[in-house]
Amino acid sequence: MKTLYLAIKYLAILVWSCFVVFPFLWALTTSFKTANGVTGGATWIPWLQYEPSMHGWKTLFGGAGGTDITGPYLNSIIVTGSASLISIVLGTLAAYGLSRFTFKAGFVRNGDITFFFISQRIMPPIVLAIPFFLLLRQLGLLDTLAGLVLVYIALLLPIAVWVMVDFFNNVPRQLDEMAWLDGCTPMTTFYRVILPNSVPGLIVAGMFCLIFGWNDFFFAFTLTFTNTQLLPVAIVALNSSVTPWWSLSASALISVAPLILLAFVVERFLSRGGLAGAVR
Amino acid sequence: MYRQKHLFLLPGLLVLVAIIIFPLLFTIRVSFSSWDVFQPGLDWIGGENYGRLLEDARYWGALGRLLVMAVGTVLIQYVLGFALALLVWGDLRARRFFRVLFLVPMMTTPVVMSVIWRTVFHESIGPLNGILQAVGLHGLPWLSEPTLAFISVMMVEIWQWTPFMFLLLLAGLVSLPREPYLAAKIDGAGPIRTFFAVTFPAMAGISIAAILIRLIEASKIMESVYVMTSGGPGTATETSSYYIYIRGLRDFQLGYASSLSVTYLVIMIISLTIIAKVLVRFFVKDRT
Amino acid sequence: MSALTLQNLNLTVDDEIWLDDISLHLEPGGLYTLLGRTGAGKTSLIRAIAGLEDLNGGRIWHGDTCWNGLAPWRRPVAMVYQQFINYPHLSVLDNVAFPLRRAGVGAEEARERARGMIDKVGLSPMAGRRPGELSGGQQQRVAIARALTKDAPVLLLDEPLVNLDYKLREQLREDLVELLAGRRSTIVIYASTEPSEALQMSSRLLLMEEGRVVQEGLPRAVFDAPASIGAARIVNDPPINILSMTLDSDAAEVESLGYFPLDALFGRERLADIGEAGLAPGQYYIGLRASDLQLAPEGRPAEVTLTEVSGSETITHLDMAGCHLVLHERAVVNHRVGSQIHVRPRLSTVFIFDRNGALAHVAHPARGMD
Repeated sequence: MKTLYLAIKYLAILVWSCFVVFPFLWALTTSFKTANGVTGGATWIPWLQYEPSMHGWKTLFGGAGGTDITGPYLNSIIVTGSASLISIVLGTLAAYGLSRFTFKAGFVRNGDITFFFISQRIMPPIVLAIPFFLLLRQLGLLDTLAGLVLVYIALLLPIAVWVMVDFFNNVPRQLDEMAWLDGCTPMTTFYRVILPNSVPGLIVAGMFCLIFGWNDFFFAFTLTFTNTQLLPVAIVALNSSVTPWWSLSASALISVAPLILLAFVVERFLSRGGLAGAVR
Repeated sequence: MYRQKHLFLLPGLLVLVAIIIFPLLFTIRVSFSSWDVFQPGLDWIGGENYGRLLEDARYWGALGRLLVMAVGTVLIQYVLGFALALLVWGDLRARRFFRVLFLVPMMTTPVVMSVIWRTVFHESIGPLNGILQAVGLHGLPWLSEPTLAFISVMMVEIWQWTPFMFLLLLAGLVSLPREPYLAAKIDGAGPIRTFFAVTFPAMAGISIAAILIRLIEASKIMESVYVMTSGGPGTATETSSYYIYIRGLRDFQLGYASSLSVTYLVIMIISLTIIAKVLVRFFVKDRT
Repeated sequence: MSALTLQNLNLTVDDEIWLDDISLHLEPGGLYTLLGRTGAGKTSLIRAIAGLEDLNGGRIWHGDTCWNGLAPWRRPVAMVYQQFINYPHLSVLDNVAFPLRRAGVGAEEARERARGMIDKVGLSPMAGRRPGELSGGQQQRVAIARALTKDAPVLLLDEPLVNLDYKLREQLREDLVELLAGRRSTIVIYASTEPSEALQMSSRLLLMEEGRVVQEGLPRAVFDAPASIGAARIVNDPPINILSMTLDSDAAEVESLGYFPLDALFGRERLADIGEAGLAPGQYYIGLRASDLQLAPEGRPAEVTLTEVSGSETITHLDMAGCHLVLHERAVVNHRVGSQIHVRPRLSTVFIFDRNGALAHVAHPARGMD
């Protein structure tokens, strides 16, 4: 009975693993194909079923007839990094305030303010795209990195607040009180005592910010054109032209690579139980 | 008592409000105008747009489809995510490897993966049909048949976001106290009993949070639809977001699209509040 | 060197009164113990002094400075919590040096002074470790060291030993007495639920009940003359036996225990009449310590309802004709629940409370009489 149970367990894991890996594998093999390898029908195994070539990969870096992907790549790093950083700083500060102090403005209380932050995520990008478009145009920030960073802050700040409020609520207040009695003002308490003990939460918040920031398509799509391009937009642009599946696949693989590294970090962290304090 | 407290909340709150408030107010204002390609500008037509949307079958159809898709995918993601978390929780060979693997899809760029999935679902030269044909079955019109298209989009969403549930639930499992499990073992409870009596109730809090957050995100399903089906065939995979996109950024009927957006927002906030309450009821049953 | 004066402190939370019109005057050099049951208001009072609770009324004065509205980080107060609170991310050394650094002391000097204090609490080998690596008792020593390093004029300790096991508690209590000795400029306020601890450590005892200070005085004096039945209950552990008593001019009838001639109660005072003790015939309550009962074959029968062995002593709860009595023996005895034993009083100190529960007289029977 035990072995049957074990067999089913491994089978289930295997099945899901195949499901997970499937598109990557396909993209990998396709990225080494040429036109023949693609149009003849679905093929999987290099050398046996098709002739592999580096054509797809070469066109990514400014090769003949392709797009240079390093520009958008860099832009994505800059925009996602800056927006995440600012969001985490502002969001953690706000979350600490919401966790430790009582705010009252009329009938609006802490819980409502936290809800306000989180509810910003409900808006579909569409709803905000046009107003943002007009706003950025007014500010002269269309098609700029700064404009995008501004917009991304609005998207990522709620995430930082959501994660950190929960985390701070699980840090005992007595730690704050002890810091107060040792002569720390609330700001000093936050900076010297609470923050150093909040690394798990910050990692989770940072992770989510990076993921949602790096992977955004819609705002980058609507708010940038030629001067600034982010990675997802650049890749999808490849999609709409003559279908070069090979460079498409190659670019897709490159774009997801950084975050896959992140997956390793997260798992390591998760196993050490670090996530537990961050996510109730 | 502590005046410094405002220093914490205000920077973030003000920045957010500053960035969001204009778009929000603007959208509301535009919804009362007839701004479109032919008549750009803010006039006032009162609630005409709202009247129009009440009769707009396509809009409500999109909402209905969104409901099915969002709730469906989130539920499936929850069940699968929980199952996966349970599978890699205890003793397992290469446990860490599988944990990393299962996390990966969430880390990928949805648009980019949708592009790849589009090639996967391709009817003539895509690998999915290739495999089906290899085992002697017929290839299916994944993206050109309404129901199949719907399912295809759901599959992509499930592939992409199950790891999110998986991550949160696994984090929860890893931090569960051991004592109740020892007690259950002493009482002779089997694995199924133990799950329903110990594990599931203990995960109530995380489950609720995870489902709610996923629902909020899932309701914005857009990129997979945009890339794979463009809402089609017909309107089979057209969700609210996509419909608003069509009216707003393609037909450029900003006034009408704004009213669609405002209505959508209100419906979402109300629905999510109700769903939150229902979830709490469901997960936190009276334990006597 | 300033005294701490509390004037009419009031604290109400959610319609519950936590502090009820408390007024105290505390002098430097004193070790004041707040003794009372859980919920009596000890913690609330301590937190109010620390500035961690907003009072609904009253003022706190330190010398000429009014502390009302003064934030905790500006008050010259140090505190040790019940739960072992230390900074998890700092080493023991940096933990203890923390308040000094906040006060502007240079890093080197702060570390030096911290090292000295760590040595005094016996944790020198652990100076480089993190609190998370230490045992409960060691963590609390770190907390105590940090509080002492701050050298604040007001030192608050909220049941610091309650989360430690018995042996550790005794050890640490002794160490604390040593550490606190000679601090003439500090006002030490120590909250506890254990009378023995209070008697051992304090220079003045403050009994608290339901948010009020019900008695104040030298520990021995309070112990020997509790002002009320409530005070008697707080200050006696094991619990004191309170029985109703009818006093006549020449005899006393005590519930369950029976008839006592007058000189059995007042022997040492050689009273001819209860009027000489300021008492009139009538209904009273008598308080007998649990150690004032003893097993005796000629005593009255009682049924054992509960036996607790604590260290090398036994506390037995009895039911004597419907009356709940507590017996304290300095030996390890095992009375079976439900069995019958015979007890009689062996009076040494008798507290007589009037009908309202206030102390009317403390009687000392002659030795060996019953």
